[in-house]
Amino acid sequence: MKRIGVALLVLMLVASACVPAATPTPERIVETRVIERTVPVEKTVEVTKVIPTLTVIGPWAGAEMEQFLPVLRAAEQKLGVQIRYRIYRAEDLSQVLPPQFEAKQAPGDVIFMWDWWIRENKDHAVDLTDLWQKEANQFVLQPSAVDGRIYAVPYVLFVKPGFWYKKSFFQKHNLQPPTTWEEFLALLDQISRIPGIKKAIISGDGVGWPLSDITEHFLITFGGPELQENLIAGKVRFTDPQVRAIFAERLVPLLGKYFSDPVEWTQAIDLWWNEEYGLFFMGNWLTGMVKDPNDLGVFTLPGARGVVGGTDWAFIPKYSENVEAAKQLIAFMISKEGMEIRAKQGGKLASRKDISPDVYPPADRALAEALAKVERPNVPDLDDTVGGDWQRTFWDQLKLLWVRPQALDSVLRTLDARFPTR
Amino acid sequence: MSAWRWWRQIGRWGSFLGFTAPALLLILFLIILPALQTIVLSFTDRQGNFVGLQNFAQVLSDPDTFNLTSFPPGPPPWGSIVHNAVWIMLHLPLTVGLGLILAVLLDRARGATFLKSIIFLGMVTPMIVGGVIIRFLFDENAGIVTAVLRAVGLTELGRSWTAYPETALPALILGSVWLWVGFSMILYSAGLATIPRDYYEAAAVDGAGPFQQFWYITIPSLRPVTMVIVAMTILWELKLFDIVYTATLGGPGGATMVLALQMYFYAFRALEFQRAATVATLLTLFTLIVGLWFVRTMRSSE
Repeated sequence: MKRIGVALLVLMLVASACVPAATPTPERIVETRVIERTVPVEKTVEVTKVIPTLTVIGPWAGAEMEQFLPVLRAAEQKLGVQIRYRIYRAEDLSQVLPPQFEAKQAPGDVIFMWDWWIRENKDHAVDLTDLWQKEANQFVLQPSAVDGRIYAVPYVLFVKPGFWYKKSFFQKHNLQPPTTWEEFLALLDQISRIPGIKKAIISGDGVGWPLSDITEHFLITFGGPELQENLIAGKVRFTDPQVRAIFAERLVPLLGKYFSDPVEWTQAIDLWWNEEYGLFFMGNWLTGMVKDPNDLGVFTLPGARGVVGGTDWAFIPKYSENVEAAKQLIAFMISKEGMEIRAKQGGKLASRKDISPDVYPPADRALAEALAKVERPNVPDLDDTVGGDWQRTFWDQLKLLWVRPQALDSVLRTLDARFPTR
Repeated sequence: MSAWRWWRQIGRWGSFLGFTAPALLLILFLIILPALQTIVLSFTDRQGNFVGLQNFAQVLSDPDTFNLTSFPPGPPPWGSIVHNAVWIMLHLPLTVGLGLILAVLLDRARGATFLKSIIFLGMVTPMIVGGVIIRFLFDENAGIVTAVLRAVGLTELGRSWTAYPETALPALILGSVWLWVGFSMILYSAGLATIPRDYYEAAAVDGAGPFQQFWYITIPSLRPVTMVIVAMTILWELKLFDIVYTATLGGPGGATMVLALQMYFYAFRALEFQRAATVATLLTLFTLIVGLWFVRTMRSSE
């Protein structure tokens, strides 16, 4: 009996090693409502109609969520459905969804996720080809498709336009947005000399972005949007002399001197807004995250012919119990009406061509008008498009490069060796 | 054997099975079978064909597992296996030693219960939250540790520890000592309460000082407790995940990558389930070693 007990103990210890430790699945149910309501039909007859409750899962929390919820409220009115919104980051969904799908379950009816991930898991997604084709020519982005079938549609546009600054800070210190590379370097010098300034640029850090966004902005500026596209396609390697030169001659010399160490990005917003740093590179959702969006100014690196523009992709899992209602919801969200409601809230730009800039709040309108002059306002995001574990590697290697610039060649070799097509 | 004895024997086995079967079935179907399936998966390719040790060769030659180009005493990253080993080498003696010291110092001290509760708070903090706290503890702008270091003139250590490959792993290890030391302290406190006071009184009569009493009475008496603490701590260190995930995501440049996190990335980022199963099998192997050592040691002390 004693031996059996010992054997069981060993087996339990061994088996426990195969069970991974708890992993994060942050979730917040924003709204829950009853699903049945008595609806009067004609004057004398009352029937109980089941009103579908749709669950929408998206990555937006805080101010970004507040900007998105009016769209869902409008959809409830328009479609006669109940909608609850849950927050899950794509990183967490990538862990939650596979076992759910294997069990033919889905945690939501409409889910926002990475484009590459949806393509990898297309067998679990509803075909949205018919839905998309009704207004296909109205969009500035292409849908997520495999073999001609569409499995996810792009929602609103985010762009990574360049370096943000406070207009009041620039006025106070007599600074001007640069028009040449030399002026950019001179600006960084001027900012660095201002008393109280720790570094000219604060480097935000999420899980590795926006360091990746800064890097891509340099690649696009000095190699053109084509270089970014060729890197994504695997036609140009990270060890290519052109790529290395951009890193070595343009980005790396600025790292220790003008860029701060990576700072958690929401904390970075406060530090920058408190004028401990002069510039901050971030996507346009920043307009919804600062105290006074009207004080915001932004400039691209001089000579940039394009900026990264991306979107969040909406798909419907096959295992949703409300596929038709979910399709109607997506159709509403990407309709002109739905898109205008979202654009009015600020922080994102419409991905439709027929949305007037007048719809936006002032800061977003200025950005939309500025982007209209950029040759390529929607260059695909390098790491989002390549995806997979390479995306994590890209973020992680850039975090290393930021604090150890002398590791450039090792970083480029790692990025090249781990690229999916190698 | 008489019929009566035979029936009694059957009855004993029936009772044993009746009481243990529900738990055994749960363990069998929810833990042992999935674990065996994971081991099988580590020897197959995506199509389910047997590939021998190919997955093991690929995982072990991955720089994320073993980085031979940058090995101690060179700077990290050294690879997940080495990082786990470093974690054990530093975290284990620190938590065991500190836990023992705290337990002895707070034994019968005034306000000991309150102080122990404060120290134990780290243990009841979810490790996911613990990781975030560690990140901010060692942050240049928000961190109390970096602020203190700057205040005492160590400006070089006043920067964000988790941003630099040289300091990221030490930050996580030191932070996790704070989170885990409550466990060893509580167990040692319980162990101290079981040592008869007569031992100390007899030793005092024989002229033994406090240090001799501690060395010759306290430490040997706490040996079974120490075994439990060491085994549980090593197992925890082997399957570390949540702290690293939220504090550094294994970075920068893989400087804090650990086996469980690598397994997660293989499975849920690279979608390479065979490699993930391989790491899980390696973890199982390491755990098995610790488990066997623990059981043998316990049996020999009995």
